[in-house]
Amino acid sequence: MALVPLSYNLRSLAVRWSATLLTVFGIGATVAVLSGVLALQQGFETLFSESGREDVIVFLRQGATNEGDSVFSLERAQILMKTLPEIAVDEKGVPLVSAEMYLAVRRKKIDGGESYVPIRGVSPLSFDIYGDGVRIIEGRRLVGGADEVIVGKKLVNRIRDCQVGRTLTLNTTPFEVVGVFDSDGPFASEIWGDRNRIGEALERPVQSRIVAILKEGTDLAALAERMDSDPQVPSKVLTEREYLTSQTQALSFVLKGLGFFLALVMGTAAVFTATNTMLAALASRTYEIGILLALGYRPHAIFLSFLFEALVLGLAGGAVGCLMALPLNGVDTGAMNFQTFTEVAFAFRVTPQVMVTAVVFAVMLGLIGGTWPALRAASMRPTEAMRRV
Amino acid sequence: MIPFTLVTKNLAKHKLRFVLTVLSLAVAIFLLCVLRSLVVALNAGVADAAANRVIVQSRVSLFVQLPQSYGPKLAQVDGVECFARWNWFGGYYQDPSNFFAQFATDPKELFDVYPEIYLVEGSKADFLANRKACVVGAETAAKYGVRVGDTFPIIGALYPTADGSAWDFQVAGIYRSKKKSVDENTLFFHYEFLEKSLESGFASGPSGVGIFVLKVAPGFQPVEVMSEVDAMFENGPQVVQATSESEFQAQFVSMVGNVPLLVSSIGGGVMIAILLAVLNTMLMSAREQTRDIGVLKALGFTDGSVFGVLILQSFVLCGLGGLLGIVLAKMSEPAVVKGIGSMFPGYQVTNPTLLEAVGATAAIGFLAGIAPALRARALSVIDALRAVR
Amino acid sequence: MKDATAAAMIRLRGVTKSYSRGGETLTVLDRLDLDMERGGFYALMGPSGSGKTTLLNVIGGLDRCDEGSVEIEGEDIARMNGPELAAWRAEKVGFVFQGFNLIPVLTAQENVELPLLLTKLSRRERHEHALLALELVGLADRRKHRPSQLSGGQEQRVAIARALVSDPSLVLADEPTGDLDRKSADDVLALLQRLNREFQKTILMVTHDIEAAQRARAIVHMDKGGTLGRIERVDAESSRS
Repeated sequence: MALVPLSYNLRSLAVRWSATLLTVFGIGATVAVLSGVLALQQGFETLFSESGREDVIVFLRQGATNEGDSVFSLERAQILMKTLPEIAVDEKGVPLVSAEMYLAVRRKKIDGGESYVPIRGVSPLSFDIYGDGVRIIEGRRLVGGADEVIVGKKLVNRIRDCQVGRTLTLNTTPFEVVGVFDSDGPFASEIWGDRNRIGEALERPVQSRIVAILKEGTDLAALAERMDSDPQVPSKVLTEREYLTSQTQALSFVLKGLGFFLALVMGTAAVFTATNTMLAALASRTYEIGILLALGYRPHAIFLSFLFEALVLGLAGGAVGCLMALPLNGVDTGAMNFQTFTEVAFAFRVTPQVMVTAVVFAVMLGLIGGTWPALRAASMRPTEAMRRV
Repeated sequence: MIPFTLVTKNLAKHKLRFVLTVLSLAVAIFLLCVLRSLVVALNAGVADAAANRVIVQSRVSLFVQLPQSYGPKLAQVDGVECFARWNWFGGYYQDPSNFFAQFATDPKELFDVYPEIYLVEGSKADFLANRKACVVGAETAAKYGVRVGDTFPIIGALYPTADGSAWDFQVAGIYRSKKKSVDENTLFFHYEFLEKSLESGFASGPSGVGIFVLKVAPGFQPVEVMSEVDAMFENGPQVVQATSESEFQAQFVSMVGNVPLLVSSIGGGVMIAILLAVLNTMLMSAREQTRDIGVLKALGFTDGSVFGVLILQSFVLCGLGGLLGIVLAKMSEPAVVKGIGSMFPGYQVTNPTLLEAVGATAAIGFLAGIAPALRARALSVIDALRAVR
Repeated sequence: MKDATAAAMIRLRGVTKSYSRGGETLTVLDRLDLDMERGGFYALMGPSGSGKTTLLNVIGGLDRCDEGSVEIEGEDIARMNGPELAAWRAEKVGFVFQGFNLIPVLTAQENVELPLLLTKLSRRERHEHALLALELVGLADRRKHRPSQLSGGQEQRVAIARALVSDPSLVLADEPTGDLDRKSADDVLALLQRLNREFQKTILMVTHDIEAAQRARAIVHMDKGGTLGRIERVDAESSRS
């Protein structure tokens, strides 16, 4: 099967360079926007899902969807912590379990306005449980029972009074900032303090969740079922990774939905541009097509030729779009996780997945735009085509 | 003198191209209108906020309740004419996805502090007399087919009942609001009902008051009232933040994220894509008209009138697309309200939004038409006549 | 060279026009002097490159000469600026091109009406004038047709109607029969002759067809390099009618 030389297509694109450029940029802009939103979503999702650990188990109040909803009374929390047989112990025989209090609090931002920042009241055992997942990078660790806090790294440049040596006032109690910690996950956007002191300052004598490391070989599924109907402390049991992943769902869903909706709208415009461009290509190459057909090229060769041209447009558009989106990679940003009402800082991640999606989408746009003109080209009759208009 | 028939006939020459361009423009303008309207809806509460209403919330967090004892103290502040307690109830009807706002509030004070609320059905007296009564916003009532006299069962997520049953509110009235400061999707019930239910053990949940809404008496400065309130509770037990209603509403908008930036970037992306599409069409069209332009000039039409022919083509093309987009946006209003009306109460495609859409259309018309029009104006007659059609 | 002295409608003096192409300068019209009288029907002939089309364009105000004066009915159009030339063309000149140059999206009537948009005539008056012109060329029944629905000869006749409709003094035709078959060419030439004899239109026609040239009343021969050749009078009796 004789195919129309590819150089014809490239030459055709070059001759009508302004239409080609406009189409490529139209597709490119669409793809860039799509990539941007997807990169935002990826950055957000990976922050959570990649940092969650499988071996840290989270207990929430039954029916709660996140720590903000979940409330254990002090009493019930104690019951769970003291009576659960699956809890592992460290080398000193201390059970690796800790109750934490979580509250989103309003803090002023450095560049004006306010934001809701998570406060986490922890116990010294929390640090043992998270281990290397939480690392002090400035200042020192908390001293139990003292009115002091440590702040996550991402807050240092964004939120007021979140620097070592400053004083953070919670309700009426001043807390000294004694250290900065880093973590791979969302902890890096949080303020941590002694649970008891924080609870008293806020007049909030409750726990939000319990975290623990369980003995090796514990059947998590069985435990979850048991705790679901536990008479004293009915709870939801999940790994930290599962918990964090579930936190991202709503926003991830919205971002993905937004991304594709935008892509659809802009893509429609891009497809129209592509179709117009290809129709113009068709109009100016009518004579040439007539000759090719008369010489013996089959219609499907013409069809493929035009489709190929559209494909090149799509690919070029995809490349341009990716190039436009790439600089976003690593750029710090934040988003409101409306499930917990708190702002989470993370960076755009232009992952290979994002780029592949973008390029595939671009190629699809080109092909969709080019199919109809390609069909028209292939169905031309040689005599008609060669009649000089 | 501009031959107007030329303008319309040139556009109509390539029907497919014309239709595609108009449609893609319509889709883009439609999107811009909808996005803008969503933002307007978000900000509507801010725009319609009353200057004489002050919200008193915990300075720490919206999720922290204020003590009941604050009520009588607030009554003593100079300039406070009356106040209503508001507790976010956070329930749902039958399924968690049936989301709308419910508040426990002081019924008589509600109408005093929010005079814009009026009943379209039922009676205020009935509402005040019956402790289990509620008033429902007209939109929500319509959505769930609720009428005066019905029992509206709401499952308490934040205030679960001891036996898991629903809270049965008796509908005493359906309300509407004259301003966007209150949406028409909310359910208001007696604060006393909540208090007594918690006391009796019927349900459990956070004690205390969510926010106090104060009405500032005429002749008093809201700012002074706010300072006095803040100072009054500076030493606790819970420090407060008194803010104007508009500030309070703005807080919620900013929590959705950097909405203006997001919407601008989306809007910008869409505009660029569509501009490229229209520009492409105009350039193609203009190129085909090169010889005609030569003829016009030869006949004695001025450079200016030739400029006019081309720029008018762009404006007519864009005008049609823009008009279609605006009509679609307006027509889709009911559907959008039905779909996401609870998240964006008061969604409406307002006149300022429509004006913006017209402006955007005109801008695109100009930008897409200026290059071909200028080129036509500068074209020499001889060169133009030599052009291949 | 001068043809007639008094009442020269067209008077060219020292007209020079050059083009640069690929670094070289081509002088197409070289200090040309020419007189043409009102009511004449001139055929401009010469080999390719002799500048006949350029001369036509200069006389019609479509192109500017580098030096010299171009007086048409006493006005030196070489001194006019763009807008003045456009207005002058609208009033004084009608063009007939080899490729017809009708606007494809407009009907025959709309094409003929185009020049009238530049006048102060009302819509009804424009319609009337256009119809008249179409009747003159025998195509009133085709007025609603678009150029694609007309034959080449018919298109050219519509173009002639368009050239006439604002009653110009001068009709300039560039190879008007070049794209036509013999029969249509005949019709077009007969029409031009009629315009000249009956309506006293001054006609300049560029052509390379000697038979077409014979239908004119005078032939201006031009040579490569732009110098003017002789003007040959065509006998009234020996020209076909």
